[in-house]
Amino acid sequence: MASFTLLVNGERRAVDVAPDTPLLWVVRDALNLVGTKFGCGQALCGACTVHVDGRARRSCTLPVSQVGAAAVTTIEGLSADGSHPVQRAWVEVDVPQCGWCQAGQIMSAAALLAEKPAPTDDEIATALNGNLCRCGTYQRIRQAVHRAARLAGPRSDGRLA
Amino acid sequence: MTRPLTRQQVLHATRAGWYLFESPDDVAAALTQSRRTFLKVSASATGGLLLVVASRDLVSAAQPAAAEAFQPHALIRVEPDDRVTIWASNPDMGEGTKTSLPMLVAEELDADWDRVQLENAPLDRRYGGQGVGGSDAIASAWRHHRQAGAIGRQLLVAAAAAQWGVPADACTTARGVVAHAASGRTATYGSLAAAAARLPVPATAALKDASRFTLIGTRVAGRDVAAIVRGRPLFGLDVRKPGMRYAAIAKSPVFGARARRVDAAKALAMPGVLRVVEIAGLPNPTHLMPGVAVVAESTWAALQARDALEIEWEPSRFATESTASLRAQAAERLAAPQELLHASGDVETALAGARHAIDATYECGFVAHATLEPHNCTADVRGDDCWIEGPLQMPGSGRQVVAAAIGFPPERVHVLSSRIGGGFGRRLLSDYAAEAAVVSKAVGAPVQVVDSRAGDLQHDYYRPFAVQRLRAGVDAAGRIVAWDHALATCSRNSYRQDPRPPSSTEVYGSYVGAVKAAQDLDPDLVPTRIPHARLRYAALDTGVPTGAWRAPSHMAIAFAIETLIDELAARAGRSPIDLRLDILGDTRDVPPSAEGYTYDPARMRAVIQDAAERGGLGGRAPEGRARGFAGHFTFGSYCAQVVEISAGADKRVVVHKVTAVIDCGQPVNLLGIEAQVEGGIVDALGTAFYGEVPIAGGRATVANFDRYRLIRHREAPRLVEVHVRPSRLAPTGTGEIPLPPVAPAVANAIAALTGTRLRQTPFSRDGWSLA
Repeated sequence: MASFTLLVNGERRAVDVAPDTPLLWVVRDALNLVGTKFGCGQALCGACTVHVDGRARRSCTLPVSQVGAAAVTTIEGLSADGSHPVQRAWVEVDVPQCGWCQAGQIMSAAALLAEKPAPTDDEIATALNGNLCRCGTYQRIRQAVHRAARLAGPRSDGRLA
Repeated sequence: MTRPLTRQQVLHATRAGWYLFESPDDVAAALTQSRRTFLKVSASATGGLLLVVASRDLVSAAQPAAAEAFQPHALIRVEPDDRVTIWASNPDMGEGTKTSLPMLVAEELDADWDRVQLENAPLDRRYGGQGVGGSDAIASAWRHHRQAGAIGRQLLVAAAAAQWGVPADACTTARGVVAHAASGRTATYGSLAAAAARLPVPATAALKDASRFTLIGTRVAGRDVAAIVRGRPLFGLDVRKPGMRYAAIAKSPVFGARARRVDAAKALAMPGVLRVVEIAGLPNPTHLMPGVAVVAESTWAALQARDALEIEWEPSRFATESTASLRAQAAERLAAPQELLHASGDVETALAGARHAIDATYECGFVAHATLEPHNCTADVRGDDCWIEGPLQMPGSGRQVVAAAIGFPPERVHVLSSRIGGGFGRRLLSDYAAEAAVVSKAVGAPVQVVDSRAGDLQHDYYRPFAVQRLRAGVDAAGRIVAWDHALATCSRNSYRQDPRPPSSTEVYGSYVGAVKAAQDLDPDLVPTRIPHARLRYAALDTGVPTGAWRAPSHMAIAFAIETLIDELAARAGRSPIDLRLDILGDTRDVPPSAEGYTYDPARMRAVIQDAAERGGLGGRAPEGRARGFAGHFTFGSYCAQVVEISAGADKRVVVHKVTAVIDCGQPVNLLGIEAQVEGGIVDALGTAFYGEVPIAGGRATVANFDRYRLIRHREAPRLVEVHVRPSRLAPTGTGEIPLPPVAPAVANAIAALTGTRLRQTPFSRDGWSLA
């Protein structure tokens, strides 16, 4: 076991875990942030997607020892109140079915929109191709990403508000 | 759907395997013992009947109301501050029951839906049947839940009428308010709660005419969506209990073996590892498989230490089994006499005299459920009680299985179903609840059992491997005159050691006598108007675990039948729609079913014609593209689809558009129905192209989504268009119904485009993939 101080959702959190523990299990078991989901353990399904310094990363294959001082954002930290444009769009379009994959889809979509404020269908499918949805909600996800892009509107620097 | 059961129906119902009673005799005894008990009958996911027991005196059994609160039924509570709570009685695994079932209550209650709060109901017979499966949740709850709402509304109106000194029938209700138009008086439900709570509760109340629905038939957003997008704990794997331990279970890689020797020294030496617990299993492997559990302080430690166990497994007689050996076995079975399920006319003579005849063999591989939320459950066994919380599709049978596993009386097992991260049939079984209970009992602490994706894929209860040989002939007039269908499959019923015929889970219908009339079989099995027809079945001897997979049995059967009809049409130079309509028959050909759903060919006809027209089947597809059609009747609902595809020489298929028409009776939540059809089509498409767990050396050979492929964003249809037919008939389901037409419709489109007939799933076996 070893001690780590992580920056998660803007807060410094101390944990005492085995150094090879994937970030996924640290946030779920040690920090009780269970919104980040376990799906495959090998970065094949995207259910565990979080942001590390703003970029989408699969937390199931990221050992906690490699996180260092990077800022980790989980679905719980995407917004304080569900007001992130992607979250609002997901509600408007009624995307989820079972819902298990959706935190990962949302984190990938938010990272995409931060880079590309108005993605095409093709760009959406490519950016989210690593996020499996077993219920097959892909069509609504695509609609919701477009909707989120409109809700956010471009900032002066072209990045997502 | 509520009506008395005949002995025959009881026998049929118990075949389903998940029900509250253990044997037909128990059911019969319950029928005679208590006049206060009634039985609800509906089709289950096995196509058998699902039996649930509810108390006739639901109302008087309701818990005492809190001070001033009004609880006319276990499903409803109205509080003086106008808060209305409706209990979500059945688990939601993505099919939308958490929204659609409370909608039934709210509609009749005339509650303000936007202000209704929902609570997940624990397992308790006061809520009615609480399983979800066989796409029957809406059909089962249709009268029961509306009745609850109507009783509540009637009492609130009576309370208002008494206060105002006006006749009750002069009052109206809307959005949580009673109004008396003549005097202009209004009162909110909350203000009437205390008075309504003092009124005697009637056994029944009049239901609305469908023309007065304001909520049913509209588009209503899922009630858990806001919590899902914020990552709130809703699911089984999100359950946390004080002092909870985590457990991962090793199972024999070769199916059907127990541990002979376990060396746990390395595992126990790992940090955070607490205990190793051997699980003996139950005689029925669908209840509990044998294994060795590692209990640890974290999920990661449990999973790591499980892999460090050194286990010598007993030899299994299935150690040499493979998909290839099963294929060879199926060929032998199809060459030998099989169980005769239906026979009419003279098939051989009709085939010999046919103008065009086709003799084709179809094969469908084993398919995993691959629920994205892996196998898990949490149990807390303390003293004489066991609490189960997790993704249980069938909490009632889950209670029975857990009780058997830990030797408790069922009434000391308390079950709360969480939101379910995908079911697809996997969570009809409750083996993971039994695992959690056994381990919790052994360690004396709350335990969450969890499996890795490899464990989830390698110890699933798979969709059965199925081989079908069909022979059919068309006469000079272009009509199908002969039909011979022989199946050789792994039987789910055999695997769960049920003494009833192996065919009973693989070929749906009525099982009265040895040979059945066509109308006693599931309607699409033997198209109604083929004069010479035969249906035969043979079970394969196998150790591969099998279970229900979304639209069980329908998937393989629809694939064979719907591609064969298309091929016959091409051979005879006829439109595949016309050929289908020829043999469809009409309403009077199929007498009302005494069990389950009545099939109405006229509804199927309307769906077929609607889909063909909307999908442009009569016209020409754009250059380089082709269209294919298929339709199927599944668990009471009707669905037909036209798919439009293109494909390169590399066999990569782009699905440009799927046009789907569904008739599921009165639509309840249109938004949810559309979601089920959109998603179901995507699921079936991915499964048609990629879904297979190859078996070799008596074990599953895939361990994750690299080799067990699921459909991805880029491969999804570019457009899925859903048309829900308006109807005032009693609602039927949507969860499984959109799936069976997909594989045959795509195969028929590929045939139209390339001339190649696909006869096996997944299509990837023949080199096809999605682009």
